[in-house]
Amino acid sequence: MVTKKWILLNNEIMVKKDDEFSLHKDKEAVRSYFLDYVNKNTVFFYTLKEKIDYLIEQEYYVDFYQWYTFEQMEEVYDLVYAKKFRFQSFMSAFKFFQSYALRDDSGEKFLERYEDRVVAVSLFLARGDVAQAKSYAEMLINQEYQPATPTFLNSGKKRSGELVSCFLDEIGDNLNGIGYAIDSAMKLSSIGGGVSFNLSKIRARGESIKDVEGRAGGVLPIMKILEDTFSYANQLGQRPGAGAVYLNVFHTDIEEFLDCKKINVDEKVRIKSLSIGVVVPDKFMELAEKDEACYLFHPHTVLKQYGKYLDEMDMDEMYEELVTNPLVKKKKINARHLMVKIAQTQKESGYPYLFFKGNANREHALKEIGNVKFSNLCTEIMQISEVSDIEIYGKEDKIRYGISCNLGSLNIATVMDNKRIKEAVKTAMRSLTVVSDMTNIAMVPSVQKANKELHSVGLGAMNLHGFLAKNFIMYESKEALDFCNVFFMMVNFYSIQSSMEIAKEKKETFVGFEQSEYANGNYFASYIAKDITPVNDKISVLFEGMTIPSAADWTALMNEVKEHGLYHAYRLAIAPNQSTSYIMNATASVMPVVDVIEVREYGDSTTYYPMPYLDNDNYFFYKSAYDMDQKNVLRLISVIQKHVDQGISTILHTNTKDSTRDIAKYYIYAHKMGLKSLYYTRTRKASIDECVSCSV
Amino acid sequence: MSQYKAVNWNTPENDYAGMFWEQNLRQFWIDTEYIPSKDIDSWKSLTPEIQEAYKRALGGLTLLDTIQSHTGMPKLLDHIDGLQNKAVLSFMCMMEAIHAKSYSTIFTTVNSTAEINELFEWVESNKLLQFKAATIDKYYISLDAAKVSNEDLFMGLAASVLLESFLFYSGFFMPLWLAGQGQMVASADIIKKIVADESIHGVFVGLLAQDVYKKLPDPEKSKAELVELLMELYENELKYTDELYTEVGLTADVKEYVRYNANKAMMNLGFEELFEIKAVNSIVLNGLNGETTQHDFFSKKSTNYEKSTEILYLRDEDFQMDTDPVF
Repeated sequence: MVTKKWILLNNEIMVKKDDEFSLHKDKEAVRSYFLDYVNKNTVFFYTLKEKIDYLIEQEYYVDFYQWYTFEQMEEVYDLVYAKKFRFQSFMSAFKFFQSYALRDDSGEKFLERYEDRVVAVSLFLARGDVAQAKSYAEMLINQEYQPATPTFLNSGKKRSGELVSCFLDEIGDNLNGIGYAIDSAMKLSSIGGGVSFNLSKIRARGESIKDVEGRAGGVLPIMKILEDTFSYANQLGQRPGAGAVYLNVFHTDIEEFLDCKKINVDEKVRIKSLSIGVVVPDKFMELAEKDEACYLFHPHTVLKQYGKYLDEMDMDEMYEELVTNPLVKKKKINARHLMVKIAQTQKESGYPYLFFKGNANREHALKEIGNVKFSNLCTEIMQISEVSDIEIYGKEDKIRYGISCNLGSLNIATVMDNKRIKEAVKTAMRSLTVVSDMTNIAMVPSVQKANKELHSVGLGAMNLHGFLAKNFIMYESKEALDFCNVFFMMVNFYSIQSSMEIAKEKKETFVGFEQSEYANGNYFASYIAKDITPVNDKISVLFEGMTIPSAADWTALMNEVKEHGLYHAYRLAIAPNQSTSYIMNATASVMPVVDVIEVREYGDSTTYYPMPYLDNDNYFFYKSAYDMDQKNVLRLISVIQKHVDQGISTILHTNTKDSTRDIAKYYIYAHKMGLKSLYYTRTRKASIDECVSCSV
Repeated sequence: MSQYKAVNWNTPENDYAGMFWEQNLRQFWIDTEYIPSKDIDSWKSLTPEIQEAYKRALGGLTLLDTIQSHTGMPKLLDHIDGLQNKAVLSFMCMMEAIHAKSYSTIFTTVNSTAEINELFEWVESNKLLQFKAATIDKYYISLDAAKVSNEDLFMGLAASVLLESFLFYSGFFMPLWLAGQGQMVASADIIKKIVADESIHGVFVGLLAQDVYKKLPDPEKSKAELVELLMELYENELKYTDELYTEVGLTADVKEYVRYNANKAMMNLGFEELFEIKAVNSIVLNGLNGETTQHDFFSKKSTNYEKSTEILYLRDEDFQMDTDPVF
């Protein structure tokens, strides 16, 4: 084993000469990566025909001839190769070939370049519609839109996992329900999905089983089983399995739940790789603000008293009642102290995620049908769910809604440069819809039911900071708020329009549309009330050449929606997109960057990634998230959130010296600003040099 | 009758003890937090030569950490002024024991018992490794007295810095180099935690040494003795490097890295660099950088999180903030 030249070159970016990083080394690294590795390890074909036939005959690709003639496929290949795509950074190329490019069965030789993957995805999703395949291909090779990893990785491959990224489900409080969840976890994980469960209905440690007190084990043992299940059921060894669990903050196991991330606890109650999230109802924030006594409840005693799960209750309404009822077992704590404990756990582990239940349900378009009760592995999926009744063999189960969501992201910079918000959103919505329509997770019926009836998708966006920096706009500025307000309003508009058009074509809406806020028009109220336009000249210029939908356009859209309905119960969700943003040479999601050169660790590599478009002129605009006032970030997210029907993965960036109080204040602010969730908290360590220089 | 004193953290003894205490606490970790079992496949993919070099590198490190926790830190602690300084040293001493154990956590995960036993026999019989240990230990043993001269104390502290900041690195090279290329990454998380600890240990003991150095009547003499010791260890380190790394073809890179760290040790002691450095392997150099990295929580555990020491509670005014909607 010798040192790999391209890795060495990529590492040499960090060598400073005259106080500047050696950025040119990154280009050399890309070159070396291709010359010394990729090209040498790519299977060569004499003609396109030979390539396509080989890949189909050897069962790498599905049989594209069922949909297209060779000439039709050739047109799509020609269109894509004519764009002369080049990777802009080593990270982009490395990530693509490392994780996405098709390899032969030995795993040693590449069978695809980036262009080939783009064509395969396009042909596969277009199902024989050549014009549609071309519009997908154009959007993808222009890097205007990036499907989520499962879609981009698996499309067109004969032997592959599913195209959908993300699954969620409730767990019922009995062995059948728990068994169903573990079974689902294993199956969904093995097809490459991230899975999240709501544990809030499980009875707490020490509650009764069959009316014998003190027998229940609580949520921790279930978490332990789930953790092992996910690590066992990975996707053919390609991706480690990943899962999350959520617990309502009023559940009496909450403290134990948080303690599972402590570094030095008993193996039986320590959770290393399972992600955890806390469901925070408004009532809890209110109790903390008023500094009143806060009670946690034993969920099983609540169920026995009211025939309803604690987790399904409106706590604003029921809290006092539960406190007064002597038959509901409870435990008194201090809400502020619990918030600080959450902050402390975040400082030490990055977890838990926070899901603000009240905010997620306030503007919820399906509020008449059900509640959003928890979120997913990346805290951007927010949909209705209801626990299924799983019976013993021979009796029929009552299957209700789990959650299934497939994701993709617009690249803000290319979409804006090409002036194609409308086209990109619509084409992206089409491709997401195809994925939803093609998906049929029969092995987990609750997830299958949700997908079949609700057709949920999650269109997001990436490269916000990259776009802003490129245009010399500070991320924390008023201009950035202005831009996001208009941009995401437009994304919302065109995604609704697209969903309406699809419903019209298919003559089918999602189940329950008639009861939704879309059908009664409430959803549109704020858009109809007044025009949303850029208030800033600099931002107006950026939108030149595109029509910004007016209040009148929104009114027209509302009427069309009333007439034709919507195909998707849920449309938008902004994912954290990490790997896919590297391929796009973009900054991740709508988050600020952490550094001008990001040090990225994966399970199998460490790579140095200079920010897109980085040069001496825009250097200053890549202010690190760790140096920003997090309130500015949260404020920007609150602006975007108004135009997004689901959630936004929002990361807090803190420094070693930030106290638990500083962090808890961000929760308060995020909650008050209407954010629906907070994802990880990342901490920048003080380096020892800093410590020494400031104190010695 | 002698008077016993209690450590009083209310009054700082010097500018740095409190800061190092805090930093040590924040950095606290234990080996079983990490998941080296993720490396089993990676381990099997390595050539036997690399496996051998890796094991030996870690075996050597185990020996050094053992000395440091069993002899080095306790002996220094006896003679250092200041109860807060002593407290910091005793914390570091405990961490050294955790380090020494954590290599075993990696071995246990990827190696058979027979291989592990063989490795520990190698540690005991390898002359170069034993020379390293004996040379450093000599200075620790000279502190085994009720009262010692400042000259001896300085050399004891200096020997400790050489061990922490210099001698460890021929061993660290291997795991950092592999991890930079995507091999044995989960185990490298443990190694990076150790590197972060050793770097504050080197700086702290270096500061203590500088304090003692100022009190010496003939400092130049002690400095000459230090340089002589360093050169003796350096010669040995070159041979040790040859033995460990020749078969995997990394000898030249490791030697450059050894010199780079020898300079760092000298700087921690407040002296100028000894060697001219041309180019240190950037992969390994970047691996040393303890700064915060990006990762996704699904593919690996982070080394970025630290024990939270700033626990402050919320007050009423924290809930009063300007939350007017922007638009």
